[in-house]
Amino acid sequence: MQLVRPSSVEEAVAALRGGAVALGGGTDLVPLLRDRIVEAETLVELHAAVPRGVRRCTPTSTSPSPSSARFWIGAGTPLAVLEAEPEIPTTLREACRLAASPQLRAMGTIGGNLLQATRCWYWRLKFPCWLHGGETCDAKEGQHREHAIFGNERCASAHPSDPAAALLALGARIRTDRRDLPLAELYRLPTDDDRSMTTLEPGELILELELPAAESSIYVKAMDRQRWAFALVGVAAARVGGETRIALAGVAPVPWLVSSPEELEQATPLPGTAYKLEIARALVQRALAQL
Amino acid sequence: MARLIRTEKEVEGRYEEVWTVVEEDALDQWPAGPLEVVGQPAQRQDGLQRARGEARYTADVRLPGMLHAAVLRSGVARADARAIDVLPALELPGVQAALSCEEVDFLDAEAGYPGAAVAAVAADTIEQARAGVEAIAVEWDESEPLLDPDEAIARGQLVSESSSYERGDLEAALAGADVVVEAEYRTQSVLHNSMETHQAVCHWEGDTLVVHISTQYIWGVRDELAEKLGLRPDDVRVVCEFMGGGFGAKNGAGDYSLIAAELSRRTGRPVRCALTRREENLAAGNRNATIQRLRAGARSDGTIVGLGGEFVNAVGWSGWLAGTDGPMQMLYGVDNVATMLRGAKLNSAPMAAFRAPGFVEGTFGLECLLDELGGKLGIDPLELRRRNHADADVLDGRPYSSKSLLECYRRAEPHWDRRHEVRARSDETWKHGVGLASQVWYGGGGPPSYAWVRVGSDGSMTVVTAMQDIGTGSRTAMAQIAAEELGVSLAQVRVELGDSARGPFASISAGSSTIPSMGPAVRSAAGDARRQILELAAQRWQKEQRTLSLKGGRIVCSDGGSWPLESLLGLLEDAQILGMGARGPNPTGMRVLTFGVQVAEVAVDVGTGEIRVGRIAAIHDVGRIINPLGARSQVEGGIIQALGHTLSEHRLLDPRTGTVLTQTLDAYKLPTIADVPEIVCEFVDEPDSHLTNLGAKGLGEPPIIPTAAAIANAIRDATGADVRSLPIDREEMLRALAALARAKERSGDRVAARPA
Ligand SMILES: Cc1cc2nc3c(=O)[nH]c(=O)nc-3n(C[C@H](O)[C@H](O)[C@H](O)COP(=O)(O)OP(=O)(O)OC[C@H]3O[C@@H](n4cnc5c(N)ncnc54)[C@H](O)[C@@H]3O)c2cc1C
Ligand code: SF4
Repeated sequence: MQLVRPSSVEEAVAALRGGAVALGGGTDLVPLLRDRIVEAETLVELHAAVPRGVRRCTPTSTSPSPSSARFWIGAGTPLAVLEAEPEIPTTLREACRLAASPQLRAMGTIGGNLLQATRCWYWRLKFPCWLHGGETCDAKEGQHREHAIFGNERCASAHPSDPAAALLALGARIRTDRRDLPLAELYRLPTDDDRSMTTLEPGELILELELPAAESSIYVKAMDRQRWAFALVGVAAARVGGETRIALAGVAPVPWLVSSPEELEQATPLPGTAYKLEIARALVQRALAQL
Repeated sequence: MARLIRTEKEVEGRYEEVWTVVEEDALDQWPAGPLEVVGQPAQRQDGLQRARGEARYTADVRLPGMLHAAVLRSGVARADARAIDVLPALELPGVQAALSCEEVDFLDAEAGYPGAAVAAVAADTIEQARAGVEAIAVEWDESEPLLDPDEAIARGQLVSESSSYERGDLEAALAGADVVVEAEYRTQSVLHNSMETHQAVCHWEGDTLVVHISTQYIWGVRDELAEKLGLRPDDVRVVCEFMGGGFGAKNGAGDYSLIAAELSRRTGRPVRCALTRREENLAAGNRNATIQRLRAGARSDGTIVGLGGEFVNAVGWSGWLAGTDGPMQMLYGVDNVATMLRGAKLNSAPMAAFRAPGFVEGTFGLECLLDELGGKLGIDPLELRRRNHADADVLDGRPYSSKSLLECYRRAEPHWDRRHEVRARSDETWKHGVGLASQVWYGGGGPPSYAWVRVGSDGSMTVVTAMQDIGTGSRTAMAQIAAEELGVSLAQVRVELGDSARGPFASISAGSSTIPSMGPAVRSAAGDARRQILELAAQRWQKEQRTLSLKGGRIVCSDGGSWPLESLLGLLEDAQILGMGARGPNPTGMRVLTFGVQVAEVAVDVGTGEIRVGRIAAIHDVGRIINPLGARSQVEGGIIQALGHTLSEHRLLDPRTGTVLTQTLDAYKLPTIADVPEIVCEFVDEPDSHLTNLGAKGLGEPPIIPTAAAIANAIRDATGADVRSLPIDREEMLRALAALARAKERSGDRVAARPA
């Protein structure tokens, strides 16, 4: 395996042509390579190529939000920086603080976090399940206590990213080396024909994020222990420009937006995930009450 | 004088009648309470070495020319390796040898669980060895795995004969009881996850097999390997100087040491066979799951008249029947008890002893049941336990060698009294409560065990014994015992341990036996050395020996004279004083047990099912405390491990294939430091006057036993909900709350439906 270390976006994009794989902090990618779930001949280290840091900025022309104050975040920024950033909306800061462990947050970048793979144990143990291109979802027929209550018709995995839910609630946008899009459009529910969970093209790089300042925002997270656990249910809520949005982590194969608390009643829990719906109801109610 | 006696030997709650040679225990016990060194808090002698990374664990052993072994394990729950071809592996670069179940009997073609070892490869690097394993061609005969314990019992698939016990007449007692409760409790399978995985490095020095191994029983490994490899026991040398935990899973030699030994024999090079974290969670033992169907009956005054239990241990492919029924038989003075314990043979990994095997599980069921009973009777849980205290051993009426459970209860009172204040903190969301549970366990240790003490002309005192310190701090405790006996400071005593070629036989570090088995042997060796020193001192200063003693590094005479110890030892030059000591017998006709009680304070978020344990007070009675600091860390460790068992740890299997889904530590959730509550720890610290020259019992296991029940009882106190299944994760907590709400609704309906 070869490691290349480009020092500009252009070099990185060029290096990624032909099937090379982008390496952020490596906290998710390295274990996947070791388990040969991801195969790569060339790794492209993004450290010196992709921007990092947080800035206040003025809205870009494509920004639909009426709110004036906005933040620019480099995709290479480690979660550890964001959790300590007093200016950014609380929901994002809290989502970062409650994610993973200090060591992982020091290494893991926000860009990599948005693109981390599912934690579904069947998938990680290489069961030939639907998401790996097979016929059935092993989790649905088997052990699925950590799995989805929404969007679980084909694959019942639960999206692991806390920051993604926070950014979704904020209506964040991302800029890649080829386009600018709302974060919501980065994710897609996989289908029989196309089982990928993001709309990112091969070799496409996330370079930066842009998000509004929120009038008020919050992130609450239910875990199996106090720290260092993926969300059973994570709830992000934000009021931006007078509009309130709620997004959930750990409840669907992708970060999940709900337009109102009532929409939770449209969930399709599995026998082993019904308890997650109860938690989601309680946390959404609390998040809104505290907003 | 040595005597040959027939005696009961107990390890992890299993009793065996054996012939054993014992030596009289000539020393009187020290007076109760903290002494000069014993009973004083002592930091670990090897603490800095460990913290600095200087301590050499088995995982650090790298010998010149050492090869690495990788193991081919069955991927499915139930499969026979019909044909296996290791030749493709041998053709790969770096691969030096391979062996399979077709040639050696410690690998089994009948792979009864996912993770069963069927072949192994040794190569220059671990990567090459793994590539070799992947190249091995196996034809598997797969069949449907059996994973449901109840179904296994129904089909008669048992690991061993079931164990039934009866005293009195349970059915008659329950029929005559004022109140009867009945409930089913379940505990899950949990994984030991020692910091250091199971591993061994083996090499041959001539005909001697040298084994570096992470083990709880140096001498057991020596005998087991000698037997399985057809060697004389003294041709096997076993070394374990530092160890990263075992918790019961490292009592035996394991297949990894046999694999390393055989591959080393074939290649003439040292071979290391170390399990990865994933292998550790597949095939290195576990606490088996249990199903407990329990009944209890009492008179309205709180006298428990009968206890009954049908227990199923989900043992796995092999293993033994841990005493899930033990607490029900032993904890209370109940006249009518009937238990039945069955062990289901399943296509899951074999169980292994895990810190108080059986008793952790059984105490959860029994002590929760007791609170359910107390609730119906309207009797305070602490009072209920007092009223049913057993004054003499309930199994056969023997006296206890010592028992201070009532004193533990007395000391629990201030903690228990906090419940009013704790409950008052409740609001709409968070419900607070307090619960308690008692504990009984073995922990008396036994003979044989030996130690030597060497005193040199430079004044150095060295304890030599081939015991292991599995991470509990027993090295330091042994030094304290020797220092006390020799009247010197702790810093003057070194302990050499961990090598079967460099010291006498020492007991297994399991069943809470290290302190009670080894401690008396060390004291007896130090006593022998002291006697010899005083013999010489009597000659040097022309005193009667009985007027002399050792104190504060000096030889002290009752007539007021005293001399520094060095002034005598300096005369020795190359001569040495060699003290020898042995563990004396256990008191005949007595039951040696440990007791304790824990009080837990919890808060439950009734909206999300989150449970926070705020405080646990642990009061234990294990006889004399040697090192209060070390004892405290045993209690903290036990409680934290119990916390994982109670709330978050769960070995999950795929219900169809039996694959372990929680092989990595992100999926298998050990508690983190953020989960750890305030831990208050107290000891009765009364020497057991009948037990050895120390009066000390073991503490490794007692603290993990009552925690789960204390927490579950606190949850009931806080919410009214019955949590009867471990782990009490969010799902279980919310299920119990919903069941409570339904029950309230029904009883509300009934009240409403009553004619006005
Ligand atoms: C034990 C454990 C616990 C965790 N707990 C949590 C948790 O509670 N909550 C949570 O949210 N997360 C959690 N995580 C996930 C962790 O936060 C992510 O692994 C981390 O943020 C990923 O960032 P990275 O830079 O290391 O990504 P990498 O591992 O380097 O990459 C991840 C993926 O993103 C791609 N990639 C990375 N950067 C870019 C980019 N700029 N453009 C395009 N593609 C890119 C890589 O090619 C790869 O596919 C946990 C992880 C572990 C291992
Ligand atoms: S949940 Fe998705 S990833 Fe998991 S087994 Fe089902 S299809 Fe595969």
